[in-house]
Amino acid sequence: MICCKDLHVTFNRALPTEKLALRGIDLTIPSGEFVTVIGSNGAGKSTLLNTIAGDISTTKGKIFFGDRDVTKLPATERTADIARVFQDPLAGTCGDLTVEENMSLAYGRGKRGRLTLALNSKVRNIFREQLSRLNLGLEDRLESDMGLLSGGQRQSVSLLMSALQPSRILLLDEHTAALDPKTAALIMDISSQIIAEKQLTVMMVTHSMRQALDHGSRTIMLHEGKIIFDLSDNQRANYQVKDLLNLFAQARSDGEELDDDKLLLGS
Amino acid sequence: MSLFSFLGTLEIGFIYGLVAIGVYLTFRILDFPDLTVDGSFTLGAAVTATLIVMGVNVYLATLAGTLAAACAGLVTAWLNLRFDILHLLASILTMTALYTINLRVMGKPNVALIMEPTILTPFEGIFGLPDMYMRVIFVAICAIFGALLVAWFLKTQYGLAMRAVGSNKRMAQANGIVIKEKVYAGLAISNGLVGLAGALFAQTNGFADSTMGIGTIVVGLAAVIIGQSLFSSRSMYVIVMSCIVGSVLYRLAVSLALNADFIGFSTSDLNLITAVLVALALIFPKLRNEWKAKRAARNDT
Repeated sequence: MICCKDLHVTFNRALPTEKLALRGIDLTIPSGEFVTVIGSNGAGKSTLLNTIAGDISTTKGKIFFGDRDVTKLPATERTADIARVFQDPLAGTCGDLTVEENMSLAYGRGKRGRLTLALNSKVRNIFREQLSRLNLGLEDRLESDMGLLSGGQRQSVSLLMSALQPSRILLLDEHTAALDPKTAALIMDISSQIIAEKQLTVMMVTHSMRQALDHGSRTIMLHEGKIIFDLSDNQRANYQVKDLLNLFAQARSDGEELDDDKLLLGS
Repeated sequence: MSLFSFLGTLEIGFIYGLVAIGVYLTFRILDFPDLTVDGSFTLGAAVTATLIVMGVNVYLATLAGTLAAACAGLVTAWLNLRFDILHLLASILTMTALYTINLRVMGKPNVALIMEPTILTPFEGIFGLPDMYMRVIFVAICAIFGALLVAWFLKTQYGLAMRAVGSNKRMAQANGIVIKEKVYAGLAISNGLVGLAGALFAQTNGFADSTMGIGTIVVGLAAVIIGQSLFSSRSMYVIVMSCIVGSVLYRLAVSLALNADFIGFSTSDLNLITAVLVALALIFPKLRNEWKAKRAARNDT
């Protein structure tokens, strides 16, 4: 479904502040696979997701969705295939608009906005039915401002919004990182439900090795813009967090100090 | 205040209601502070007046003035979107350029329309109404019709997408909304409304003048702020309509201040009065909230 070939991304090219963010990513994700992506800060996880989504243009290499070359396609034209949930609960929704207006925007994702009223009783019923799945009582708050909802509620709605339009790919960028443990678990539950129900191809960036091993069917680790290991399901089954850390240390046989990364990744 | 000056005040208030709706679209909906309106108000008036003097049909002339002003908005959007010039600065550049363009369009500093037909001519003497009533009713209908149209537009899928662009660009983009297209469209509609207001002003007052647009942005902002501090509603229809109410109230307040002999203001004090009125409108909602909080605290103890 997603295929990256020799993907390179360089920021501030030809300037003194030039940064090689991705240096040669080769990655093929078959349809329906759920991949978790880990790596230390600055490893290129978010850059990889943003490049696949089209927010960042590639310096070299190609991206395919199925047989279709999307390398040059702008982000907005990829939204017919891609749904996203961001780390910041405020980023995925508009605080100034109501819950139903936000959902209406997601309901029209990847289509041209027409000069017809955005809300009617038919779509309101769809939204109400979807919101009732969350058991947060939000189905009675369709006309509330999104800004009045808590971070967890907003993230839950973002997640529902990502599934309102049929899409094939779901990109989750540390979407539980800013939430308290209980809410994070709830969001993860709903994510798993939606993914299973819609048989989505998923990439989930996470800072938690535990979460990376517990979800999905494959784990890749990025370091300095490259994939340093790629564990498929049967390989992964016997792995614990400490094994991942060992693997990480081996892969980086250049002898750098690991202490900092242990702090970051051990949680 | 005499009846005549009261009606005149209402008339100007309704015309600037259209300006206020335009300002609301850029400042509040798109979060794009746009000062182009000082130039596009005059451009709408200048193009319309010049064409009428040349003998063009008044409706065509009004349409041309509106479209010319919309194009001025597109120029500002282009400077900002294509070259990353700060929105405020881009709009100041367009506004400055328009001053010269308006002089060129008219070929002289002002054009008189006293003896020319205007958009109001067909309605003169209709139902036996005196002209001064007819003019107020005509501009009120224009303003209210414009407000209804804009409010409806903001509730459509397209308008909702425009509101999303002003509220959260990242979310908008992730949902497939092309940000640039919405900014271009928003600035064109906003300046088009302002240009239409300029065209109506020229025809009701009988002239277009190169300096008539100075301070348009402040008046528009004042109307938006006054309207929104008086009505707090979620309904788009109420919000957009409150721009017109704000504009009329602003004009009434200014005219009361200028006409009240015991205060002793003269016409040249207009800018101070404007600034004080806008400041009061900004201060009022905050004070109201503080009073409410205090009263609630007192009731608790």
